[in-house]
Amino acid sequence: MKGVRMGEWSEPGETRAGRPLDLGALLARVARGDEAAFETVYDGVAPSVFGLVRRVVRDPAQSEEVTQDVLLELWRTAYRFETAKGSAMTWVMTLAHRRAVDRVRSAQAAAAREARAATPEADPQDAAEAALDRIDKERVRRCLGALTELQREAVTLAYYSGYTYQQVAGLLGVALGTVKTRMRDGLIRLRDCMGVEW
Amino acid sequence: MVSIRGFGHPALHTLAGAYVLDALDDADRARFERHVARCDSCLQEVRGLRETTALLGSAVAERPPERLRAQVLAAAARTRQQPLAGAADRRAGPGWPGNRVWRDLAGRRGWLPRVALATAAASLAIAVALAVVSVTTQHRLNGAEERNRQVAAVLTSRDAVLITAPVTTGGTATVVMSHASRMIVFSARGLRGLPSARSYELWLIGPEGTRPAGMLPPPTHGMTAPMVAAGVAAGDKVGVTVEPAQGSRQPTMPPVLMLPLPD
Repeated sequence: MKGVRMGEWSEPGETRAGRPLDLGALLARVARGDEAAFETVYDGVAPSVFGLVRRVVRDPAQSEEVTQDVLLELWRTAYRFETAKGSAMTWVMTLAHRRAVDRVRSAQAAAAREARAATPEADPQDAAEAALDRIDKERVRRCLGALTELQREAVTLAYYSGYTYQQVAGLLGVALGTVKTRMRDGLIRLRDCMGVEW
Repeated sequence: MVSIRGFGHPALHTLAGAYVLDALDDADRARFERHVARCDSCLQEVRGLRETTALLGSAVAERPPERLRAQVLAAAARTRQQPLAGAADRRAGPGWPGNRVWRDLAGRRGWLPRVALATAAASLAIAVALAVVSVTTQHRLNGAEERNRQVAAVLTSRDAVLITAPVTTGGTATVVMSHASRMIVFSARGLRGLPSARSYELWLIGPEGTRPAGMLPPPTHGMTAPMVAAGVAAGDKVGVTVEPAQGSRQPTMPPVLMLPLPD
């Protein structure tokens, strides 16, 4: 069973005691109702989940709600994690991002319903910039820095700000096809730069 | 009217980045997931890119307020988990409990007009059966859950009608139709195997035109997982053709099944 493969990103993948966390094995225990294992999972993943959710959702109270939802979903559905399909941490972060984006989109939908003239409350590129400032993991920052500007903006606006690719295209003033392509080749370059092995 | 565009359009492949960034709307995501389901290289790419986005996520880790820990642990203690049995069944395939029910349904012959399927016991068994359809990635899981919910809704609707018919090249198709929701659930068993570059595609064909209704998933133990098609119109027939694996926008081959739906 493959454990959390965070390598130098060990902080989110470690227990409070600082030992490496075999998240996959822990999730298997959680699936059997092991509350102690769930506590360890919480300590291991909550900072990553909360940090990402907060980046996307922004509102602190809503971010806590979404984080709680994600953790409870882990608790309820831990059996679904299958190691063969990828690392446990990736599974958790995929779930967290999905839920964060759901929250942002439903908030957007609610806002759009009330919208008079749609005036964005903050410049979305500022938000993405702010997110980048908070990236304290040197390698990720370096790899993001190695992307073209358009690749970087496309990836970060979608991932950290929760925009759809159509919205990103509108924000950046480029064609839909260009955005799709830049998202993909940008992520491929990041993958190779960060040494993700698949 | 031969057209080979459609789901196999090369542009679809380029959605992999937007997909793992959760930057697709629901329709595009569903389209891409159908594509990935039959594209191994796409699945590999999605996995690698997902690992990458997860690192972007962890890079902005931030310690949550201490009170959240107690809240979450307390909430977990009073939250029921989804049963492990479900996971075991999901993986087991032939052994899972509802399979027999579905097979029995599919095994019936001929037209069975207005057979109400919605006895409580049958509904429950079917719902259980469909809740355990096998899936792979988490996102496909979410898509599958939604689909299973729709399937269960059709099968348990009061006006469900069950129709079976032979497929000309071998095998049997089963359609359960709900007039009220204008949806059908389609499944087939014993279909002739196809080369990897070809797949069966489902169509709704009628006065409103010929609409693609999805690619049949590869069979498990001879049986394709149930598919839902919505927007059934009066006069529609259910058709199946053999198409390039990525699907077509319009049929490019004569149908191996053309089944009129009851009005």
